[in-house]
Amino acid sequence: MSSDVKELINKYMPDSQMSRFGKIFTDTTEFMNIDYSDVIQIENGHFLVLKNEQERRFGLVDPKYWVKRCKHLESGKYQLLKLAFYETFPMHIGPFEIKCYRSPRKEARILDLVKGDMRFMQGYSKNDIEGNNVRVLDIIRGKRLDVVVHDIPVDHKTYFHEYFPDIFEKFIGACEAIRFLHSHDEKHGDVRRDHLWVESGTGAYRWIDFDYAFELYENPFGLDIFGLESILVYLVGKANLTMQTLLELGIENSILNTLNSGDYSAVIGNRVVNVKKIYNYIPNPLNNILMHLSSSSSVFYESVDEMLVDMNKSLKEIRSL
Amino acid sequence: MTLDKILVAFDGSENSFKAVEYVANIMKHYPIDLILILYVERLPDKDLFRDDETWLSQCKKNEVEMTEKLSSAKENLIKQGVSTDVITVQYFASCKSPFHDTDICTTGRSIGMDILRIREEGNFDTVVIGRRGVSKAEEFLFGSVSTKVVQAAADCTVWVVN
Repeated sequence: MSSDVKELINKYMPDSQMSRFGKIFTDTTEFMNIDYSDVIQIENGHFLVLKNEQERRFGLVDPKYWVKRCKHLESGKYQLLKLAFYETFPMHIGPFEIKCYRSPRKEARILDLVKGDMRFMQGYSKNDIEGNNVRVLDIIRGKRLDVVVHDIPVDHKTYFHEYFPDIFEKFIGACEAIRFLHSHDEKHGDVRRDHLWVESGTGAYRWIDFDYAFELYENPFGLDIFGLESILVYLVGKANLTMQTLLELGIENSILNTLNSGDYSAVIGNRVVNVKKIYNYIPNPLNNILMHLSSSSSVFYESVDEMLVDMNKSLKEIRSL
Repeated sequence: MTLDKILVAFDGSENSFKAVEYVANIMKHYPIDLILILYVERLPDKDLFRDDETWLSQCKKNEVEMTEKLSSAKENLIKQGVSTDVITVQYFASCKSPFHDTDICTTGRSIGMDILRIREEGNFDTVVIGRRGVSKAEEFLFGSVSTKVVQAAADCTVWVVN
């Protein structure tokens, strides 16, 4: 009833200028019908819906109807509500298509596991009256790590010597966070650049979105490790180094001509992972970590632990430069 | 190296049936103590299902199918002339299995390492495994049981059947 919503708004937001009052939803099954000015009631908490979240990828805006930006009326806190949406979709990594499942219960379980661990987004889950899992998430104020790195307004050499060591150290912390999940038999499931955020104010690196699940048997943590390595390649290169971006960056032909198939990623064939060939001041130990991802490598990292050993050694060397 | 006890790693795939057939062809005229056809359970991930009921039903279905395939693999060995007395079939259950309550189970972290653990504990001198033939990128992302077995095997012979 809209009068119920009006009462709630009057009680908790007496200064509000809202003129539209929606309905109270205790059942979130039909989440497409829940929109601005509705209230989602979970147990005794009331969440005023402000909008559907959106994802911007490849220049397109994709509304995520199952993720609502809300205001928790009792506390006045802005939060995200992720509603149960059992989606199956293909995830593309290089030439591979992986059947991916959205799993509310996986994310709910991980939220419990990482409670109080600020390397991860924070929140909790409750069921609505129909038993649908609803995750109540704190909003992280900040920017994606790759955007932060991309926007640093210096040339690569300055970036590498003045900014990268601190970024690398914090990224190692983010890898330790993923190792923590693996040690509890959990996978992040979607380790990619836009799921690692830098929080404003604290500068902390924080992982978001844990609801992806898929079937991986012999190498259950392989996709997470691939994701971490790909992010590291980006951080070292300060860009996704494809032939196109290298040309845009004005890299000399004499360098580009030295690139061969073994310098590119084994999985995403147009990305250069042998960054030392582009920027010759990259130390060998660091470049060797990146080369584990190359098509010329016969040795892959099998655990985050293995990566961490090499990264910590490399950081020590970089710090002493 | 001796050839007394063979462990055939089986996953119900066409390649694993080929591995069984290969063993049958070689061992039908050879005195052997034991051939173990081993299946290490790949329990469906609970997170891929809406609720426990659907998951349980899929687990049951998978187990019934795999048990039938294991019987079929054993039959193939017998048909080829291997004595039934030397053949054993083992369904090595997952630690998270809803139907098997045992401490000796697979954690699901690495099927390849489970196979090698069972080989060592059972003193098998030979491991036989089929191969899908995955690319480097696939191996990196998804892993390969046969590669893991070949890389990590010690004190035994490994036959990889294409």
